[in-house]
Amino acid sequence: MKKSYAGQLAISLVSLILGLMLAAQFKNVQKVGGNVSRQRTQELTEHIKKLESDNESLSNQIKEYEDIIKSYENVSKDETLVNELAKSKSLAGLLPMEGPGVVVTVDNLYINSWDGGHQTVQNVHYDDLLRLVNELNAAGAEAIAINNERVIPTTEIRNAGDYIVINTNRHSVPFEIKAIGNSENLKAALNLLGGVVDNLSQILNIKVKTESNISIPAYEGTINYRYAEPVQDKKS
Amino acid sequence: MKIKKDLWVLTLIAILAGFFIIRVLEAQNPQLGISSMLSPQALDQYFEGRSLGKIEEYLKVSKELEQERADLLEEIRALGEIISRHEKEAAEKIEEGEQIREELEISRMIAGMLDVEGPGVEIILDDRKRDTILESDLGMMGYYIVHDSDLLEVVNELRAAGAEAVAINGVRIIGSSRISCGGPTINVGKEQRFVPPFVIHAVGDPDALASYFQREDSIYQTLMFWGLRFEIEKKDLVQIPRYIGDIEYKHAKPIGEGE
Repeated sequence: MKKSYAGQLAISLVSLILGLMLAAQFKNVQKVGGNVSRQRTQELTEHIKKLESDNESLSNQIKEYEDIIKSYENVSKDETLVNELAKSKSLAGLLPMEGPGVVVTVDNLYINSWDGGHQTVQNVHYDDLLRLVNELNAAGAEAIAINNERVIPTTEIRNAGDYIVINTNRHSVPFEIKAIGNSENLKAALNLLGGVVDNLSQILNIKVKTESNISIPAYEGTINYRYAEPVQDKKS
Repeated sequence: MKIKKDLWVLTLIAILAGFFIIRVLEAQNPQLGISSMLSPQALDQYFEGRSLGKIEEYLKVSKELEQERADLLEEIRALGEIISRHEKEAAEKIEEGEQIREELEISRMIAGMLDVEGPGVEIILDDRKRDTILESDLGMMGYYIVHDSDLLEVVNELRAAGAEAVAINGVRIIGSSRISCGGPTINVGKEQRFVPPFVIHAVGDPDALASYFQREDSIYQTLMFWGLRFEIEKKDLVQIPRYIGDIEYKHAKPIGEGE
């Protein structure tokens, strides 16, 4: 009888441990398996979203191309060619543009010092301008210029000593950023609570005003492509 | 016989007891987080995330979309050929036609409307590896991840170093591209969301592009300081696709139209 009790006790103990292990194992499997596949689904949904937006843009592109071809075939060849040139030039920033938008002035913030002079809180830094331009782009700006330097795909905004270099030209304060687009949207995006202007206005003198007609000059520099070459059609 | 039966019952009870001990322990220490996984929502999430059916469905959809994308690109290429044939014909007819065609090509190049290739660099930018972050440092997490502003700085420095074309994860960067934060993803251009790692391609003088990041005030120094992954590799040939997307001018119009 005594022996049997000992056996039962041993089995109970082993079973108890087994139960503990089972529970732990269950938890681990759940954690790992669940996370991996959830991440996979998330990745896939992002990928699908990207493809969908790509395909939509591509379909629009096709419509546009078809219109151009129609115009070549049914309207006039040279007129279409000239129109095409104008369109590409405006996309490249090679045409002056006008329209409603905002004008942002950025200057150093001066405070009166104890001796009656002026003291600068902080100089305008290149990335302040970079951020403002990026924010305007996010808000749908159609054309942007900083101190009349048209922003194009190769435009850099970088510090060089006391200057800020834009389109390889040196500029210094005050800066005037002009952007054409929906003026209310542009203004609202900049003035967002806790947004760029909110942050920068503590150290800089920034003013945003909407205007019904702004003119933005064309890009004036020359670009020599020394490295990039258009990819030729493999078939032709 | 009876004793054996008792033993089976006892074993079962003991296993169950072990299981319940764990659950009771957790209920007292919720941070263990095991019992929360047995709540109804957690179970739903668990089964949804795991359901292979769903993943298979997504895979099927994405495959279809990829095929559609390839078809659309092929169609665009064919239409593009027709257009360039028309352009050639039109150019032959008018005076200075060849000059117009050249101008057209260069404007398209500047606007980022052509696929380009050439020597350049490939940059890989990624968050700091999780296992190199000390537990006590978790509050500094913000410094260890790639931010939208970092990408913006990298692109800006590439431009300053003379890059002629730049793309992030295959999306061509043009003058009106925005790079902004979308929670865990970074939005590049229009509706394009990416998570790290970011692969940035630039066409230009490989030496000039790579050495720009050695400057003391380069974003490279900051990101390396925080231990992020930032690799630059010079390449003999980098291919950068054209900008895909519609640019619509709703507000801006060219000055002096109709001259």
